[in-house]
Amino acid sequence: MTELLDPDAAQAAIEHCYAQGWSDGLPLVPVSLPLLEQFLATTDRPADEVIGRLPQLDRSVTLETAAINAAMAGCRPEYFPVVLAAWDALMLERATGGGGWQSTSGPAPLIIVNGPVRDEIGLNSTGGVFGPGFRPNATIARAIGLIVRNAFGIHPHVLEQATQGLPGRWQICFGENEADSPWEPLAAEAGLPGGGSAVSATLLRTCEFVDNRHTSSAEQLLADFADTISRTGVLIFRHASAGVVFAPDHAQLLADAGFSRADVRAWLYEHCGRSLADLHRVGKDGIGDNGVRFAREDDGALPVPGDDGDGFQRTLPDGDPRHLLIAVAGARNAGISMVVRMFADWSGRAVPVVGRTAPTTPAQPLEAAR
Amino acid sequence: MTTPTLPTREPNAILDPTGRTSVLAGAPAPAGTDRPAGQLAPRRPDLTGLRVGLLENTKHNAALLLDEIGALLEAEHGVRVTRRATKQVFAMPVSDEVVTEFAGDCDLVITAVGDCGSCSASAVADGIRFEQAGLPAAVICSEAFVATADAMAELRGAPGYRYARTAHPVAVLSPQQVAERAKHLLPDVVGLLAGERA
Repeated sequence: MTELLDPDAAQAAIEHCYAQGWSDGLPLVPVSLPLLEQFLATTDRPADEVIGRLPQLDRSVTLETAAINAAMAGCRPEYFPVVLAAWDALMLERATGGGGWQSTSGPAPLIIVNGPVRDEIGLNSTGGVFGPGFRPNATIARAIGLIVRNAFGIHPHVLEQATQGLPGRWQICFGENEADSPWEPLAAEAGLPGGGSAVSATLLRTCEFVDNRHTSSAEQLLADFADTISRTGVLIFRHASAGVVFAPDHAQLLADAGFSRADVRAWLYEHCGRSLADLHRVGKDGIGDNGVRFAREDDGALPVPGDDGDGFQRTLPDGDPRHLLIAVAGARNAGISMVVRMFADWSGRAVPVVGRTAPTTPAQPLEAAR
Repeated sequence: MTTPTLPTREPNAILDPTGRTSVLAGAPAPAGTDRPAGQLAPRRPDLTGLRVGLLENTKHNAALLLDEIGALLEAEHGVRVTRRATKQVFAMPVSDEVVTEFAGDCDLVITAVGDCGSCSASAVADGIRFEQAGLPAAVICSEAFVATADAMAELRGAPGYRYARTAHPVAVLSPQQVAERAKHLLPDVVGLLAGERA
C-alpha cells in the first residue's frame, strides 16, 4: 500500500489547512467526508446536535463540527466518544461558558479518563502522563483546542488574549492509573460509580511538581504539598482552588497511613494557607466586597474579616472535591507528583463515555510502535 | 475508508472545521455569526439635562472610574446620573433586564472597563446593544485590549465601532490616579455621547 501514498498531495493538503487559518501551529490532518463519517459512526448522537454555545460571541458548535476538528487533530475515530465526553465535561465548568477561553490567563483543559476505554484506545495513564508520546493523549486534548479555535472562532491575539498562556495548553489528557491507585476511581467520586468509562475535566492555570522521596511520614509528605499549594501568586481572590495528581508512590504512602481521598483533602484544607504578614508582603492582604484581594494601605496589622484571628488565611475554600481535585497517575517508580492550579473551581461531575470506542480499523499497536 | 486513492480520481473535498456551513446538510449552521447591525443611536449635541446610566463590570477600579466620570459629567455638562448597575458576569452580554431598565431611566450609557480578555469584547458588545436599544453609549476599554474589542465590534456587525481608550494598566491605579484618568477620558466620553457617530 505504501506505493499508493502520495506525500506531495499530503503536503499540499496540509498547507491548504494552514492557509485557511485552521491550525494551532502544528500540521493538521486534512479531513474528507469518508473520514468524518467514520467519526460520526462512533456515536448515536445526531450530527447536528449543538454541543456548546458561546452567546457572547454568537457562536455554537455542533457534533459534526467537533468531529471534523477531532479528525484534524489526529484522533482516530474510536477516540471521538472520549472527545465528546471531555467536551461535555468541560461545558459543565462555569468558566468555559463565560470568558475562560478568551482569558488573559490562557487556561488549559485538564482531562482525566477512567475506565476500560483507556485500554481500548491505548490512552497512557502511567509513565509520562503529562508528557508526549501517546496518540490518544496528545490528540484528544488537541481536539478540544481546535474546536475552541475553529468552531468558537477564538484565535490568539484576537478574541483570545492570553498574556503568556501556559505550556501544554491543549496537551493535558491522561488516564487515571487505577491499577496502582489505592483509592476509588476519580469518576466514582465524581458521581459515576461502577467502573465505567468516564471523563472528568476542568481548566488549569499551570502545574507544579512536588518531588518528595525523602520521608515516610504521611504528615511530612502532605506538608510538602501544602507548601506548594499555598503560594501567594495564585491568590487573586480570597481562596484559590487546586488539585493534586498523585504519583502512585505518594498515593500508596498516604493510603498505607490510613488516609482516604477525603482525609487528604481535609488535611490539606486545614494546612494550606498563609499568614497575614506573608500576604501583606506581596500586596494581597486586603479582600474587597467583591472577593478580590488588594494591597491595604495600612500596615497590615488589622485582622481581615473571615481569617482565623491569628492571621492565618486558608488557601482552599473548603475540603470539597470541587476545590481540591485528587487523582492518581504516573509510573510507580518515584515520589514525584503534580500540583495543578485551577482556573476557577471544578464542576465535580464526571461524564460517561458513550459510543463505540473499539477500533474499527487496525490501529498501530503501542507495543509495535515502540 | 480503506479504499486506495488513485491519482486520477477526483479528490474528496477538504472539510471546513469552523461550522460556518454544515457539511452533511450543506446548509448554514444553526447559529450564524452574521447578526445584522442595528442602527446606532442618534446623538444630541447638548447633553444638558440628559440622564446617564453607569454600567460597571466588576473589574478593579471600574466602579470608581465610572463614579468619577459621572461626577464630572454632572458638574461640567449638566447631566444627571440616574442609574448604576453592576454586571453579574463580566464576560457575558449585559442582561435584557438591565438594558430595559436603562432604556427606561436613562438617555445615555457609559460602561467600563474593558480590562481583560473576555470583558473588553463584552463591553463593546454591550455598547452596541445599548445603541440598538436607542441609547448612545460610551464604552471605555484599556488600550491593551483593542484587538479583541475591535474583533467583537466586527462580530456584532458594527466594524469600526468607536469607544474610549485608556492607557494600560487600570487595575493597579490609586484612587487619585483613577480620578486623573477620569478627567483625561472626559472629552472622549463626551464626544462619543454627543458627537456624530462615524
